Amino acid sequence: MSYDFHAPTALAEALELAAAYGEDAHFMAGGTSLVLLMGQGLVRPGHVVGLRGLTELRGITKDADGTLRIGALVTHREAERSPEVRAHCTALGDTFGHVATVRIRNQATLGGNLVHADPAQDPPPMLLALDASLSVASRSGERSVALDGFFTDTFATALEPGEIVREIRVPPLATGARACYLKFLPRTADDYATVSVAAVASGGIVRVALGGVGPTPLRARAVERAIASGAAIGDAVAAVVDDIDPLDDGRGSAAYKRTMARVWTARALREVLG
Amino acid sequence: MKLEHRVTVAAAPDRVWAYLMDLPLAARQIPGIESVELVGTNQYRGRLRVQIGPVRLAFEGDISLEERDDHAKTATLRGEGADRASGGGVRASVRIALDPADGPTAATEIALSTDVQLGGRIAELGQPLIKRKADQVLQAFGENLKRELT
Amino acid sequence: MSVHRIRFTLNGEPREVTASADRLLVDLLRDDLGATGTKKGCAVGVCGSCSVLVNGELVSACLYPVVYVDGAAVTTVEGLASPDGSLAPLQEAFIVHGGFQCGICTPGQLVAATALLAERPRPSERDISRWMMGNICRCTGYAGIRQAIRAAGGDRP
Repeated sequence: MSYDFHAPTALAEALELAAAYGEDAHFMAGGTSLVLLMGQGLVRPGHVVGLRGLTELRGITKDADGTLRIGALVTHREAERSPEVRAHCTALGDTFGHVATVRIRNQATLGGNLVHADPAQDPPPMLLALDASLSVASRSGERSVALDGFFTDTFATALEPGEIVREIRVPPLATGARACYLKFLPRTADDYATVSVAAVASGGIVRVALGGVGPTPLRARAVERAIASGAAIGDAVAAVVDDIDPLDDGRGSAAYKRTMARVWTARALREVLG
Repeated sequence: MKLEHRVTVAAAPDRVWAYLMDLPLAARQIPGIESVELVGTNQYRGRLRVQIGPVRLAFEGDISLEERDDHAKTATLRGEGADRASGGGVRASVRIALDPADGPTAATEIALSTDVQLGGRIAELGQPLIKRKADQVLQAFGENLKRELT
Repeated sequence: MSVHRIRFTLNGEPREVTASADRLLVDLLRDDLGATGTKKGCAVGVCGSCSVLVNGELVSACLYPVVYVDGAAVTTVEGLASPDGSLAPLQEAFIVHGGFQCGICTPGQLVAATALLAERPRPSERDISRWMMGNICRCTGYAGIRQAIRAAGGDRP
């Protein structure tokens, strides 16, 4: 590895650096993913733009309308322990706590997690089920991107070159809403899930999202439609196979993951609807 | 890893065969292809770019056209290339077979049987992800052929 | 490759180093600063043998860029005992309760447990499991490690 490291202290500066170096520059937030990728020789930037100096991206606040706003540079550990996050949705706080080990959670940021876009990560399904959106900054301004659709492929997102995720926005939940995140991992507790399911029942609407069963984290729309049309949970989860496309890998065969997706989606739905 | 693809194009087998056997021409339909040049009898040199998220690969290597049977319209392509930046390599063979397809107008079914292996650092991405990527590239190639050969 | 002047404290002692952009904390500690207590096991942040504290937070030194250590307080296993050499209660507990055999994971276990007890002085079994699960041990079967943490945490049997 051989690169120049830059430490901007403001978002505008970081965006300028990315524009200046183009494809040869890579952002580094917490660093857990990028250090590994560079160590493997798979990513070889000439310039690394460190984002930790962007303190404006580190806060957790709640808008007057109840929207939870989490800065992209908030670490998983901060989010896991945040009273604001837990008050908004306990399951969301728990989800951040499911990530890897406390060491990783102390260093890795939420923005970095989303941009890394591994389909088996924990936060994305929960945030998808909560209908979260992202505020994305570029030199031409800011745009809002629904998280649903943000993940375009494994390790790929809808970010344009030079864009930075500013914050994650989680809309308010209806009174009496229920949410859960279930992580099925038959191997060690610090691993990614074999299959994970997030379910949210809020204001009569049920959203279900899965991780580890496709090229990206995904909303289980066939299941959601079945529930919305009044199907029993057992019948609705049969539709999950229409939503997913798992791979055979070390965490399980595709067939096993399809079975587990049904089982764990049913459990998640019983938890929020039962 | 083995991959199977079939695509039906709206052109007669003779025309499709002639097109495919002009490798530099047909290769233009492969997403990420930078060049394929004839360097000897049935020998080619190619450059292909593939991106998996932040990982950018640039393969450069040799391709040979073998077991060509113009009557049966079958052939095998064998290629071996390296990504200089990561030191990883790719080895692939593609068996091409054409069959006339049913229908009122001229049509050909193209069958591609691919065996591809990635080695070196790239293998760290995991064979399942690599397989999905190879599948995407071949799928797109088929779709591009369909658009091109009408 | 850019080069950076990094000022930080190591176990309370002020240090100043010049490090290239890609230098990782585990290599700086072991190769440049003689602090070989921190071990390089898997080098991918999984095994926990490189556990250190940065500003009191438990991290993997093998994933931590040195450029991120500027202005920080770094604690390694060498910093757990008192300046006069007397061991911390946690270290004594590891000896008394058989918390180590070969010792290769032990610095990481001690640093991780130190951070746990700082955050939660009387950890429950679940707290210990969840916190310490990232520190892998090949020898002990973990019972001695748990016992030591329980003992140091004030649950004296």
